[in-house]
Amino acid sequence: MSIIEINNLTKYYGKARGIIDVSFNVEEGEIFGFIGPNGAGKSTTIRTLLSLIYPTSGNAKIFGKDCIEYGPEIRQDIGYLPSEVFYYDNMKVIDLLKYSASFYKKDSSKRINELAEIMDLDLTKKIDDLSFGNKKKVGIVQGLLHEPKLIILDEPTSGLDPLMQQKFFDLILEENKKGATVLFSSHILGEVQKLCNRVAIIKEGRIIKVEDIKTLQESNYKKFKVEATTGLDKGYFDIAGVNNLETKNNIISFIFSGDINLIVEKLSEIKIANLWVEEPSLEEIFMHYYKKED
Amino acid sequence: MNMYLHELKVYRKSTIIWTCSIIALIVLMMSLFTSFSKDAELVQEMMHNFPEAMQKALGLSTLDMTSLLGYYGYLFTFILICGAIQAMNLGVGILSAEVREKTADFLLVKPVTRKKIITSKLLAALTCVVITNVLYLVAVIIRISAFKSYEYSMKLLIMISLSLFFIQLIFFSLGFIISVVVRKIKSVLPVSLGIVFGMYILNALGSAIGDEKIRYISPFRYFDVTYILENEAYEVPFMIISIVFVIIAIVASYILYSKKDINAF
Repeated sequence: MSIIEINNLTKYYGKARGIIDVSFNVEEGEIFGFIGPNGAGKSTTIRTLLSLIYPTSGNAKIFGKDCIEYGPEIRQDIGYLPSEVFYYDNMKVIDLLKYSASFYKKDSSKRINELAEIMDLDLTKKIDDLSFGNKKKVGIVQGLLHEPKLIILDEPTSGLDPLMQQKFFDLILEENKKGATVLFSSHILGEVQKLCNRVAIIKEGRIIKVEDIKTLQESNYKKFKVEATTGLDKGYFDIAGVNNLETKNNIISFIFSGDINLIVEKLSEIKIANLWVEEPSLEEIFMHYYKKED
Repeated sequence: MNMYLHELKVYRKSTIIWTCSIIALIVLMMSLFTSFSKDAELVQEMMHNFPEAMQKALGLSTLDMTSLLGYYGYLFTFILICGAIQAMNLGVGILSAEVREKTADFLLVKPVTRKKIITSKLLAALTCVVITNVLYLVAVIIRISAFKSYEYSMKLLIMISLSLFFIQLIFFSLGFIISVVVRKIKSVLPVSLGIVFGMYILNALGSAIGDEKIRYISPFRYFDVTYILENEAYEVPFMIISIVFVIIAIVASYILYSKKDINAF
């Protein structure tokens, strides 16, 4: 069964574009990545699913029910973690979590303590006194305490140190194993690759592609920048798998996907002054997608 | 119920402060009555030397300041201003706080309807206003009954004092609908101070130039003390306007807020 079903969802803010004709499904039990640069429409889509905003046209169903009409009922089983968390500053962490829990039918007090322990969160502190990272932890506990069937994460990892990120990913994977479906929005490809089964790529309000994560992993993109000692013809690197080939002041840059040894061999045959190998930004991969479609 | 209790907690402090301030204000000003009434004739004569428009603007021309209720009725304007600001703060602030303090993403993704959120907040605000009025009324009755040698009608005292409640309801509803219509209110106090004082000045102007139409725009003389003292009743047209306005504002708030986009920050 599809947990989320989005059909031709369109949202304009006045004349400004939010999202255009977005359609995709998220199946039960999967971790679905939702990836795109900032301002592409990830948050707009998610906020529509949560009926924080209303679509201009199209519709979305969660658990088979229209997400606007049955919003309150559906949200009983949704856990949401926004990218920026803000809570009532005057409250203590435990009071906020209890307030949050009071909206759900379940008794969540045990789960609150479990989660707080995993995330290493001090429940007795005032929210006002917490650091950004710690507020984020409150957000995580708050989003998961009622053991939701659908977890919606909107760029959840910003502000978490790597150790906490790992704990957080483990937590999400565990919830997923217990049966929760996850919609994970991010602009960091590596994050999504690590966690997700499938991924939808959004750019400028439109879905470009819905792809299996395996396909993305096979096409292991690397960004190369080579500074040669002598003038070098950029055609030298023009082999299969190379994209976005550019030369600037003796520096040749390109994005490569394929057997990395091929490039290493090429490099070993020439004298180079400097070499950078980086994860390409999403933008750069998107450019690659556009080229393929042309 | 959980939201209602939460809101009560949030507004507990400000309600206590407002209530105490208003009570302190009236108790202090009333205690000047004894010395005032001694020289009442002198004072009144002096006041009658003010330009007529100014007398009217200050509401001096029609009230008998030598009587206890006349004096109270004159001071009551200041209580109304304070009460209006308190109510306006509540109205403008209680719903817009979720957006201003960026907690909307917390509250509105909970399994509750927006209608329920509004109802909880309305009830919480109403509770605050009722508490303020009950305590105020008790304090005023105690303070005024301390003037043993003066005669006054308890019914009229209560009728005048009760109009604080109606004025607060009107200003609360006005603030509430404003907070729903405006996309984002960055700061509550300038909005409520601006509107309350704007309304007050409008009312003073209307009295000064004797324009009866302005009475319909500014609520400050919906419950005119002089009229109450003379007729032992509220003015029916203004009573109706008040009720209709409050109902329309609240119903419109429900409808508009249920359709409002809650944008990211």
